[in-house]
Amino acid sequence: MRKTWILRCCLAAVALLVRSAMAQEQEKAEKSSGTGAAAAAATASSPDMHSPALPKPGREVVAEERAARLEGEKRFRTNCGRCHQQPHKFPPRVMATAIRHMRVRAMITDEDMRFILRYMTQ
Amino acid sequence: MKRTTIFISLRGCLRTLAGLTPVIALLLALTAFVPSALGQAAPEEEARPIPLLTGSAGFLTGFTGGQPDLHPLVTPLVLLPIGPKWLFETRATLETDLVQVPGRSGFHSGPVQKEVEYAQLDFIANPYITMTVGRFLTPFGIFNERLYPVWIRNLQSDPLILPIGIGPSNASTGAMMRGGFRAHPQFNINYAVYFSALSTTSPVDSDRFAGGRAGIFVPKARLEIGGSFQHLLQQERSDLFGFHLIWQPTRLPLDIRGEYADSKRGSGYWIEPAYKLSQLPFLQNEMRRTQLVARYQQFFTGPLPSDSLPPVNTKQFEFGLNYYFLDGLKGSSNYGRQFSSAGNANVWTLGLTYRFVVPLGPTGSAR
Repeated sequence: MRKTWILRCCLAAVALLVRSAMAQEQEKAEKSSGTGAAAAAATASSPDMHSPALPKPGREVVAEERAARLEGEKRFRTNCGRCHQQPHKFPPRVMATAIRHMRVRAMITDEDMRFILRYMTQ
Repeated sequence: MKRTTIFISLRGCLRTLAGLTPVIALLLALTAFVPSALGQAAPEEEARPIPLLTGSAGFLTGFTGGQPDLHPLVTPLVLLPIGPKWLFETRATLETDLVQVPGRSGFHSGPVQKEVEYAQLDFIANPYITMTVGRFLTPFGIFNERLYPVWIRNLQSDPLILPIGIGPSNASTGAMMRGGFRAHPQFNINYAVYFSALSTTSPVDSDRFAGGRAGIFVPKARLEIGGSFQHLLQQERSDLFGFHLIWQPTRLPLDIRGEYADSKRGSGYWIEPAYKLSQLPFLQNEMRRTQLVARYQQFFTGPLPSDSLPPVNTKQFEFGLNYYFLDGLKGSSNYGRQFSSAGNANVWTLGLTYRFVVPLGPTGSAR
């Protein structure tokens, strides 16, 4: 009886953790949408609001790509290297299956999975 | 007799599930309320996953107490992604032992042992929850689930405490809920909660138990610590506990892994540091492929006997050398000495392991 209660408590604790993480995620999403709305408002109130949207400067895109690649590499080393030697890069569709397998087996997070997949398929 | 056992087992399962109904309902409710933002396009959608045949092959040579033993084995793993959220995975092992028969020259092989280690269907419900049903590797500690394949493990011998908490054939038959998520900017949490039903059909036998494992991973420190719990719902109905640790210091090419497990049938621990020689200033191409490994372990017998655990208190020290020829191809050697009241023995292992990946469809090209 006592053991069943221990098990129930463990499950409840996990549920609470999941709930808190989901709340954090929701809060983050709300914040980012709020920031987006604020940015849109700022754009609308700017004097050149009627000018067409300018494409991101090429340098900025390259910098973003580079940052994403570095972050992907860091997460790849941190997550994959925990259990095994870091493999060479695989073709994108092979990597997509492998990362789904690792998502289940090694329980890597959704965010880490995205960065690693991006890094490994570039 | 068998039918009665299965019936009793099923009745027990239903009773346990009924007891857990409020918690399961709560978890299902949480799953249902996951915001739609979490259903954003999976990155795999950009590169659609294809079925894979992967796994490992190895040729291991062991000398235990002076007796040679050649051990070829192949472990194919099939990964079959279904749609954006499902994955079917199954792993089998085909192995044999080549031994010297007294009075005959050369090595002679016994029958090839074939075993489906696991066959499971995974449903990735959302970023926090993955549901698994079928036959799955029991997530008690880390070795059985994450470090077992010959191409992954640093030393080819199994830890003495490996049989604790993983069931009679290393796997469970039932259902599992698991996941990993960022709980805080500084750390991730991973968890697994499972239930296994009794199965007496060899070689896919399993015990009836319920348990869980939870771990905290701190990416900045590259440290993972966690614990496992299991309650056996048959025989002595005892509790089992375990702890695990993986640490990779950021400044050194060093991996430290360790586990502790405790049960009525025995307890013990192992700790395994592995150091890559990549920081040495000479022969850098060779040194970055070379890894030194050591493992120290102790096992203490419990009040109840076990067929798969050592019959007496045992200590074992091993050290080894691995050389990574290519990505996936590894040569490994290790020497160990086992100390127990049943007699001390040397343990030597030499082996070659290979990890293969065969795509079963068009692979696409790099972006």
